[in-house]
Amino acid sequence: MADVAQMPGVLAQLRLIAGLRWSLLKNGLQRKHSRWDLLGVTFVGVFGASLVLGLSVAFYAGAYAILGKNRANWMAIPFWAIFLWWQVFPIFVAGFGANFEFKTLLRFPLSRRTFYLLGLGYGFADFAAVSAVCWVTAMVLGAAVARPEALPVMAGVSVLFVLINVTLERLIGSWLEKILAKRKTRELFIGLFVLSMVSLNFLNPLLQRYGRAASPKILEYLPYLAWLPGSLAGSAVAGSVRGDPRAILLGMAGLCVWLGVTSGLLWRRFAAQYRGEEISESAASASAKKNKALAASAEKAKGQSANGEWLPLVPATVAAVVLKEFRYLTRNGMAFFTLLLPPIMVVFFTLQFGKGSPLREHSLKPEMFFPAIMAYLILILISPAYNAFAFEGKGIQTYFMAPLRFQDVLLGKNLFLVALVTLELSLSLALLVWRVGWPSTAMFAATIGAGAFAVIGQLTIANWSSLSFPKKMEFGKMKGQRNSGVAVWTALGVQIVVAAVCTVIILAGRLLGNPWIPALAFTGLTAAAAGGYVASLGTLSRLAEEKKELLMETLCR
Amino acid sequence: MGEIAIATEELTRTFGALTAVDAIDLKVQAGHFFGFLGPNGAGKSTTIKMLTGLLAPTSGRMELLGLDFQKHPVEVKRQIGVVPEGMGLFERLTGVEYLRFVGRMYGLDRATTEKRAEELLEFMQLADREKTLIADYSHGMQKKLALAAAVIHGPRILFLDEPFEGVDALAAGALKALLGRMTERGATIFLTSHVLEIVERLCSHVAIIHQGRLVAQGSLEELRAGVAGSEGETKTLEQIFLSIVGQSGAEQARLEELTWLT
Repeated sequence: MADVAQMPGVLAQLRLIAGLRWSLLKNGLQRKHSRWDLLGVTFVGVFGASLVLGLSVAFYAGAYAILGKNRANWMAIPFWAIFLWWQVFPIFVAGFGANFEFKTLLRFPLSRRTFYLLGLGYGFADFAAVSAVCWVTAMVLGAAVARPEALPVMAGVSVLFVLINVTLERLIGSWLEKILAKRKTRELFIGLFVLSMVSLNFLNPLLQRYGRAASPKILEYLPYLAWLPGSLAGSAVAGSVRGDPRAILLGMAGLCVWLGVTSGLLWRRFAAQYRGEEISESAASASAKKNKALAASAEKAKGQSANGEWLPLVPATVAAVVLKEFRYLTRNGMAFFTLLLPPIMVVFFTLQFGKGSPLREHSLKPEMFFPAIMAYLILILISPAYNAFAFEGKGIQTYFMAPLRFQDVLLGKNLFLVALVTLELSLSLALLVWRVGWPSTAMFAATIGAGAFAVIGQLTIANWSSLSFPKKMEFGKMKGQRNSGVAVWTALGVQIVVAAVCTVIILAGRLLGNPWIPALAFTGLTAAAAGGYVASLGTLSRLAEEKKELLMETLCR
Repeated sequence: MGEIAIATEELTRTFGALTAVDAIDLKVQAGHFFGFLGPNGAGKSTTIKMLTGLLAPTSGRMELLGLDFQKHPVEVKRQIGVVPEGMGLFERLTGVEYLRFVGRMYGLDRATTEKRAEELLEFMQLADREKTLIADYSHGMQKKLALAAAVIHGPRILFLDEPFEGVDALAAGALKALLGRMTERGATIFLTSHVLEIVERLCSHVAIIHQGRLVAQGSLEELRAGVAGSEGETKTLEQIFLSIVGQSGAEQARLEELTWLT
C-alpha cells in the first residue's frame, strides 16, 4: 500500500493545477533567453487587461441601453459577439502551440468525473473565457440596473450561456487537439489557416463587386441562427422584458438542450482520453503494408530525380543539397502554402488598384506597377534566406561530418532559392501581364535586372546572417517561429538599401530621359553582385567552420 | 605494433571556465573495437565530437589514419563514419532519400549509392518504410538508419555515440554482427556506451575518461590486471569501471537514507 493518506478533492486539485500553471509561467520567464519576453508579456498583459476592461464597460452600457430603451430584441447581438469571441479566438491561437498538455494529468489518480471537471475548470483559465465571463457579468449588471425585473432570467440565461460556451470551447479544443496531434494534418491545418488569413484580403474587393447581389441570399439564411445559443439567450431575456413566458421557456429550454448535447459529447471525448486514447503519430507505425505497396510504386519513380546527376554543371554534393532542399520544401506545409502568396498578392493588388478596380482613382499604370509589385514579391521570397538553416534540425551535423567544403552547401541552398524565386516571379509576371498589361520593353528589362540584382545582391549577406545568427524553426508550428532579431534587422536594412538603390536608378532613367539606363545599370550591378557572391564563398566556408558550434548548439536542441 | 588509427596528443577542450576534456592522449590501433567509457558529463561526447570534426579542440593534436585532422579535414572525413549524439538525421527525408543524400555527400557515384542504400535498408529491416519520413520513425529505427548512413561509404574508422540506446534486442544483434564484420575486415570502431555489458562483450580495448581526464587505457586484460581484487576472481568491466571512477558503494550509502521506500 502506498503512503497516501487522503486523496485531494476537486477544488484542491484545481488549486494545484493553477499553481502548476503559474510555476510554468514564472519559471519560463526566469530563463535567461526569456527575459526579453517579459517585456512582451507585460505589454500584452496591459493591452489585454485594457481590452477586457474597456469592453466590459461597453457591454454594460450596451445591455443597459438595449433594455432601458425597450429594444430587448437586440439582446441577441451582445450574446452573439461573446459567443463568437469565445469559440473563435481559441481556434486562432491553437496552432501557436500549448504550453501545458492537460492530458498529462492522467498520470495522477483521478476519477473520470474529476478529470471532466478539471477539464472544464481548465477551460475557464483561457484568456477568451476570462474575458467573456467579465463581459457577461458586465451585461448582467447593466440589465439589473436598467430592468431589475429581468434580472432573474438574465442571470439564469447567463449561467447557462457561460456553461455552454466553456463546454463547447473545450469540445472544439479537444477535437482540434486530435486533428493537430498528427503531423500531416497539423501542417495542413496551419497551411490552410495562413491561406485563409491571406484570403481575407479579398473580402473587400469581393464585397465591392458582389456584395449587393449576395445580400438577399444571406438574409434568407439569417432566421436559422435563431437556434444557436446567442439568439436563444437574447430571445429568453427579451421574453422576460416583454413578459412573454413562452419565449423565456423556449429560450431556456433551447439553451438546456445545447448544454446537454455539448456536455454529452465532451464527456465522450474526455472519456476516450481517460481510457488512454493515443492520438499522436499512430497511423505512421500502423501502415507498414501500405508502405510496401507505396514502395513498389516508388521504384518506378526512381531514376533521374532520385539522385542528383539531373543537375549538370554543378558538383554532386551541390546537386544533393538542391534535391534535399526541394524535398524539404514539399514536406513543409507552411512553406508550401506560402508559395501561393506571391500570385495571390498579385491578384489582390491588381483587384484593388489595377485596371477596372472599384478604386479607379487609385489605378496605377503598368509602367510603375511592375517594378513596385516585383520589389514587394522579392521582399517576401528572399526573407527565409537570412535564416537558411532554420529547418535543418540535427541534420546540420551531416554537413559538418561529410567530406565537403561548406560552400557547396551554401551554393546548393542558394541555387534552389534562386530557382524558386525565378519560378515564382515568372508566374507573378505572367499574372501581372494578364491583369494590368505589358509595361514598356525598357521598363520590363529594368524590372528583370533589378530583380536579379536584388536577389543575388542579398545572397552573400543572407548567407552571412544564416551562419552568424541561426534560429531553429520547427515544421508544423507557429509559436516562436521567427528569425533572430539581428537577422530580421539585417534583412530589413539590406532590403531598404537595395530598394533605395533600385528606386534611384529607375528615377535617374526617367530624369535623364533614357529608359534604357536602368536596365544597363542593373545589368552592371548584377554582374558585380554575382562576382562578389562567388568571391565570398570561400570566406563564408571558413566562417561556417568557426560558427559550427553555434549552429549545432542552436539547431540540434 | 600495428597501424595507429586514432592518436591524440594533449587534446583539450574548454567551455568558458569548464575544462570538458583535459589534455588526453588516446591511442587506438587499426582494427580494434574500442570502447570509450565514462560517467555522465565526463567528456565522452565532447571527445567524439572533436575526433569527428563537429567540435574544434581548444588545444592539442589529433591524427586519424596518420593524417592531421586540422590540416586535412576533408581527407579524414572521407574515411570516417559517425553516428553522433542525437543522430544528426534530416527528419523530413525518408530513409532511402537520406541514405542517397549522404552517399552523394561522401562522393559515391549514383549507382553505388543506390545499390548500397537498398542493401543497407534491407539489412536494417527498414526497406518496407520507403515512404515514411524519418520524423515518423521510432527511436530504434532512427538509430539503425543513422548507423546505415555512417557506413554507406565504407569508412575505415566508425565513431558510435551510444549506438545501442533505444534499439531492441533483435536489431542490436544485427548491428553487433555488422560491426563485428567491419572489424574483421580491418575497420576500427570507436564506441561510447553506458551499457558496460555490451562494451565488455564487443570491445577488445577500452579507455575510461573521468572529469575530462583519461584515467585508464588498454586491453580488458590489462585493465583487469591493474585493478586489485581477490586471487582467482575475474573482475567484470563494471567492477573495473566503478573501481577506477571511485563511485562504488556511494549509491548504496545514499539508498540507506531513503528509509520510507518499500
